[in-house]
Order: sequence, then C-alpha cells, then structure tokens
Amino acid sequence: MSKPEFVYTTYIETSAEQLWLALTDGDFTERYWFGHRVSSDWEAGSPYKFVHQGADSVEGNVLIADPYTRLVYTWNECKPAAKRERTSRVTFDLEPRGKVIKLTVTHDNLDEGGKTLRDISGGWPMVLASLKSLLETGHVLVIDPPSSTAKEAACA
Amino acid sequence: MRKPEFIYVTYIETTPEKLWEALTDGDFTERYWFGVHLRSDWKVGSSFEMVRSNGTVSDAGKVVEYDAPRRLAYTFVNLSDEYKGELPALATFVIEPHGKLVKLTLTHEGFAEDSKFLAGISKGWPAILSGLKSLLETGKPLDVPYAAMKS
Repeated sequence: MSKPEFVYTTYIETSAEQLWLALTDGDFTERYWFGHRVSSDWEAGSPYKFVHQGADSVEGNVLIADPYTRLVYTWNECKPAAKRERTSRVTFDLEPRGKVIKLTVTHDNLDEGGKTLRDISGGWPMVLASLKSLLETGHVLVIDPPSSTAKEAACA
Repeated sequence: MRKPEFIYVTYIETTPEKLWEALTDGDFTERYWFGVHLRSDWKVGSSFEMVRSNGTVSDAGKVVEYDAPRRLAYTFVNLSDEYKGELPALATFVIEPHGKLVKLTLTHEGFAEDSKFLAGISKGWPAILSGLKSLLETGKPLDVPYAAMKS
C-alpha cells in the first residue's frame, strides 16, 4: 500500500559540495526558494527553520545531515490551515552521476488529501527548477510563486 | 490504490514555440534524449518512433494529439524483450506560459498494475527532461551518463 509521498528527481550540472551549500545556506535558498531563508547549525537533532518576509514559514528538526550525500529533516508548515496535520519528512539524496549530480527529493509521511501534500506537490517542481537554473546558469528563474505562499503566519 | 502513472512538472526559461520544437524535432531530441531521434510526420493517427543513433527503433506507437504549441500526446511501448507483453501507454505534454517561463507537465498513463515499463520510464523521464531544460537554458546539453537512467 503506497502512502502519500512526493518524489522528484532532477539532474544538475554542479558539484555535490555546491548543491549541499545551496540546500543549507540561507543566502543561497533566499535566491531560488521564493525568498525563503533557511537557518540551522545542521547537526542531527538540531532545529532548522525557513523565514519568509520576517515570519517563520516552515520549521522542523534535522534528522540526518551527511554532508554532500544526504539531508533529512522534519517539516511543519506554519500556515494555520496546515497546523493540525502530522509532521512530514523531507529527504534529499545527492548522488554523483558522471559529470552531474542526481538529486532526489522525497517528501513523505504526509496526510492523505492534506494541504501540505497539495502545497508541496506544486511547490517542489518550482523550487527545484529554480535551483537547477541557478546552479547551471548563475541566475534564478523569474517564477511566480504559488499563491498559497503569500500568506504566512508564525509557528507557535 | 494509487493510479499507475508518472507525472513530472518543470519550469523552463524558454518560449512555448521553442519547447514545442524541442519536443518534436528529431534533430533537436538527439541532443538531449541520449541520442534518440523522434521520427513521425506528427499527424494524428500516424506512427511515432524513437530511433537510436545506430538506426534501430527502440520504442514505437502512434500520435494521439498535436496542438502546437500547447498539447502533444503519443502512445509508445519499448520493443525490447525486457518489456514483452506491455501495452503502449499514453504520454501527454502540456505546455503553459507561466510569467516569463514555460510550465511543462508530462503525464504518462495507461499502464497495467505492476508495469515494468512504468518503472523504466519513471527513471528515464527525469534524466531526459533535466537535459531538455539545461539545453534550452544554457545552450548545451547535460552530460548525464546513459547508465544513470537504469539506477
């Protein structure tokens, strides 16, 4: 029985080190992740959060931070509509494939038919398309963000 | 139970017309599709083939929809023994302007439950479409090893 999960794979011409930086550095995420800045010390068990326009947008804990290979964190959206949903989980797997890096994002432990599942199914393709463009061309995509990200409310 | 299908969305800095050409011009597909040349006259009902660089046909089917530069749909199945008995499944490409970008949505459906072909194309499309995006945005193809599609 397949649980609700979202899996997306993309291939990027970059190094594993550069891609790791792009996933974990706030200055970097702000550029391709619709202005969302990530911050954490990236130690297993530590908290992390995304901040957008001064308000927390996503928060959770680092589960695995294996530099240049694997990053896993829990995911709680701070929007009121998503507050009652279970904590989901995001896994980034970075695998060298010749001169490129295969990046697989797996977002699982989602509520069936929930708001988070709907948001992230639309959001990941945008974020990852923008990330790939930034790393390959040096500039970000001018992309209209999903409208649902417009309203944020701080996590309690 | 989830429907046996594969969906992939990406955003590309290009125009619908250029993306359409990239999806339908065999000389163009050769550059990002691991050397595969798509061969068809693109009339609805006409045959559709994927021709490898050595001239052999790897996959074949029919054109189902051709509405430039918005919707393209064709069926195909891989002809190798590995996928013997599999029925042709339907791949539909929808191209939509999205601000200064183009949103490309691929839906590949019509597979039997536990289809091996579905597992195969689920590995292939991300590599092919990543290469397509890179070629349109940077002017050069992505150097993804063919073996990457199998693992």
